[in-house]
Amino acid sequence: MMDALRWIEQTPLSLFMREDFYAYFVVLIFHAWGMAFLVGGGMAISLRVMGVASGARLERFAVFFPVMWIGAVLAIVSGLLLLAGYPAKALTNWVFALKFACLGGAGFLIWRIAQDYFPMAERGEELPKRARWIGAAAFLLWCAGVACGKLLLYTNKMLLLS
Amino acid sequence: MIPHDTPPFLLAIGQWGIDSGIYALMNTRWGWPIAEIVHFLGLCLLMASVGMFDLRMMGLVKGLSMKALHRLVPFGVAGFSMCAATGFLFVVSSPLEYIYNQAWQLKMVLMAIAGINMLAFYLAVSKRVHALGPDDKAPLAARIIAVVSLGSWLGVITCGRVITAFRPFME
Repeated sequence: MMDALRWIEQTPLSLFMREDFYAYFVVLIFHAWGMAFLVGGGMAISLRVMGVASGARLERFAVFFPVMWIGAVLAIVSGLLLLAGYPAKALTNWVFALKFACLGGAGFLIWRIAQDYFPMAERGEELPKRARWIGAAAFLLWCAGVACGKLLLYTNKMLLLS
Repeated sequence: MIPHDTPPFLLAIGQWGIDSGIYALMNTRWGWPIAEIVHFLGLCLLMASVGMFDLRMMGLVKGLSMKALHRLVPFGVAGFSMCAATGFLFVVSSPLEYIYNQAWQLKMVLMAIAGINMLAFYLAVSKRVHALGPDDKAPLAARIIAVVSLGSWLGVITCGRVITAFRPFME
């Protein structure tokens, strides 16, 4: 694995990400925008399932899915570019894996909410009590994912292998 | 490095940060990282509430009652409070790095624009917007306010990232 990381570090893309004055910061900006739309949309849906803004029909919150998808694409593409710049920094840090576990878990819960509870809400049925707990769990996982992203800067053990 | 012509008020802010213990707290192992986490979580809450409200008001998403969606706004206020409190800790801990930083200056201007824009919303269009049905189009003034609001907050996020690129007095 270390050989692969060394190889990535020497690719033109990786060198460009590290050596160009603007590249890293421009990509960081897009990553922050992507995360803000992804997590913002996810938090809005989580809060609604938790009972906030109950006057708005739950199933209609599906309109935020495209916003979240745009955010996810922005975050993933920019995240891959950031990863290309310093692959060893992220891939040797367990917090990086935890970030993905949290965001993946939050995304999975939002998907389950859409699958299980949006149709119930559309039929006018009352949601089970556990729906609120699932919403709260999703909200906390979004927060944990963001926290792990911020902690990456402070928990890495190395920047480069080569 | 502190320049010789540093205004006394900046020195006073820095000294107050030291005397109050904020500087020491922020320079502990986890002081700055925890403040950064709270800061970005606050921005996420702002996007979850004000940002989503703006998208609805702009007409990019439809099918949600604006009045009901407005109930998310207190979370935006909480998010803004988290950002303001942690932002205060950053500035007090390192005033020269922020106050002379052009990205920080622009961030403050954008926040002021967002604040004035919010006032314009509540004074000029909020009643009309709250009366709209889930699929109704917001009036033009409301859509302009939404564009300015979302643009300002995305600009604030951008400046927040760029602040770290410019460290005027970092040795």
